Amino acid sequence: MDLSLSPQEREFRDAVRRWIEANHPGAEPDSDAELFTVRRAWQRALNERGWAGLSWPPEYGGAGATLVEQAIFFEEIARAGAPSMANVLGLAMGGPTLIAHGTEEQKQRYLPPILSADEIWCQGFSEPESGSDLASLKTRAVRRGKEWVVSGQKVWTTYAHEAKWCMLVARTDPEAPKHRGLTYFLMDMEQGGVEVRPLVQITGEAEFNELFIEDARIPDENIVGGEGNGWPVAITTLMHERAGLAFALQVRVQVALRELRDHIRSAGLAGDMVVRRRFAQLHAESQVLRLNAYRGLTGVMKRGAPGPEGSLGKWHWAEVNQGLSELAMDVAGPNAVLADGPWQYRFLRSRANSIEGGTTEILKNIVAERVLGLPRA
Amino acid sequence: MNFDLSDDQRTIKSTARELLAARYPLAEVRRLALEEERAFTDAQWSEMVELGWPEIAELGTVEMIVVAEELGYALAPTPLQSTWTAGLLGASLGSGERGAVVIDGLAFDARSADVLVDWDGGLVSGASIERAPALDPTRRLFRVTGGERSPAATDVERGRLQAMVMNAAESVGVAERAMEMAVAYAKERKQFGRPIGTYQGVSHMCAQMLLEVEGARSAVYWAAWALDHEPETAPLASACAKAYAGDAGRRVPRAALQVHGGIGFTWEHDLHFFLKRGEANAHTYGEGSEHRDRIAELAGL
Repeated sequence: MDLSLSPQEREFRDAVRRWIEANHPGAEPDSDAELFTVRRAWQRALNERGWAGLSWPPEYGGAGATLVEQAIFFEEIARAGAPSMANVLGLAMGGPTLIAHGTEEQKQRYLPPILSADEIWCQGFSEPESGSDLASLKTRAVRRGKEWVVSGQKVWTTYAHEAKWCMLVARTDPEAPKHRGLTYFLMDMEQGGVEVRPLVQITGEAEFNELFIEDARIPDENIVGGEGNGWPVAITTLMHERAGLAFALQVRVQVALRELRDHIRSAGLAGDMVVRRRFAQLHAESQVLRLNAYRGLTGVMKRGAPGPEGSLGKWHWAEVNQGLSELAMDVAGPNAVLADGPWQYRFLRSRANSIEGGTTEILKNIVAERVLGLPRA
Repeated sequence: MNFDLSDDQRTIKSTARELLAARYPLAEVRRLALEEERAFTDAQWSEMVELGWPEIAELGTVEMIVVAEELGYALAPTPLQSTWTAGLLGASLGSGERGAVVIDGLAFDARSADVLVDWDGGLVSGASIERAPALDPTRRLFRVTGGERSPAATDVERGRLQAMVMNAAESVGVAERAMEMAVAYAKERKQFGRPIGTYQGVSHMCAQMLLEVEGARSAVYWAAWALDHEPETAPLASACAKAYAGDAGRRVPRAALQVHGGIGFTWEHDLHFFLKRGEANAHTYGEGSEHRDRIAELAGL
């Protein structure tokens, strides 16, 4: 057991830290459009340094970084409060899915503009009637000559309004069992059959969109992983979502914890025993999040798969992150009724944490069935 | 970066698991707890001495907590933890000698101990030792009054942290075993024509147990590693480990009892021994609330 960084890992961390200090774009602008411009420029700068596709193999423009280096990188980004990259879904999900399942032509065509943020990606999985039960999705794709005609509705499509490409899962064989009749497509968003409407959330912002698809066209060569093989390809995308985000999320919790500490101090509640103990419990939980993330990393490096702790991270993170903002609201006290601070926003935003990217209930089912071996309901 | 046991540590763990399973089936745990005067036999102690377990902390804190976790998993009644703690607090023990530690006038295993120390590492001599009723029947508890106390020769801060983490590790084992019992029962027990583990009210409780067991294990390994390799982090890590694993050690058996339903509430079922050990551990070497106060302080609040 050795929880310290090796000399090479320390060197990498210092290099990342120095680079971020020199290139940090400063405070985030208020408007969403400006923020996106900042994120795009940030990604381009990182790509020139060779770090946008950190985990990607070098032959596809990546850095081929080890898992520990990836963890270090995301820790440093979060610690510095640096922006996230514009094409986060292409980098963390679309690219790795293509690398695993795409043809060589697809890799050559799509990977470079993902890295450079010239083509932004979005994800068309969830539908109004298909949330946790994703495989029940109804969006239809019908072959017509050398192309497919697609109709249906998607929801929760982050960045759809900026996106050129959509990772779209559609039903191509309605007669097949629900997991087998699906195909994974890359759909061009810039066409008449695709309408994007912002979905306003409880914070008043619109991070997500609804996608209305009517007779949109997708050429045959934009199928990833073969016709009828959409489910395993989609699972690859979802696995990358959980693994890639796990580290960044836990580090943001560490940063939020320091901000909460300052919030407690400035509210004059540093001496309040109840507040101190709730804070301490969150601190211990956040350490457990961090440690489990590292244990998972070691498991993947040594055995090719994380241990049982790997299934718990996203669920646990949601609890801790919600707990942080709940305590912050109590610390604000009567001022919590104002909507003028970061904590009121965070409190509202954190309510989605136990829903987005797999609800806590679904994650508990997965743990119960696949890790503990309990019988399926 | 390598958050995993070394091959040697793994061997220690699997050896302990196998040996304790052979020597301490739950029928033997029950017999020792309810019938044996000291809750252990000379033969059992001699075997642990031959294995070198009383001195295992000399190999490292991680090596000690690996065995402690297995002691909790087996729920083996033994004066080993008392002996470890006395040694960590500076008691000088000859080969095969046992120690015990007096805290707030109470000490586990005091009557069978060769050396008694207090939480400051001071030698306690000539005290009166009287059996006290114990919540946890697998350990013998005594009230220790009067006698002389000589001041400690060594700094006990690190030893106290090691004892806390050792106790936390034992709770990890207790929680893990209680979880396994609950999961096994949820698979086999049928009501309304299907295994109760198919009901989310039950299966989600089991998933919660895993969250707490694995989290507690991570915190305990971190603290044990820090005690040996990163002393500046050790106070925070130890407080986190004790607070978190102490809670897991009692919350998981409580939930496991709920999963078992009525049978879990009977004396005849073994689950209550785990419930009681976990609860007792959470009140040994500092309350969770004290450790949380320490965490707040060390985190700069």
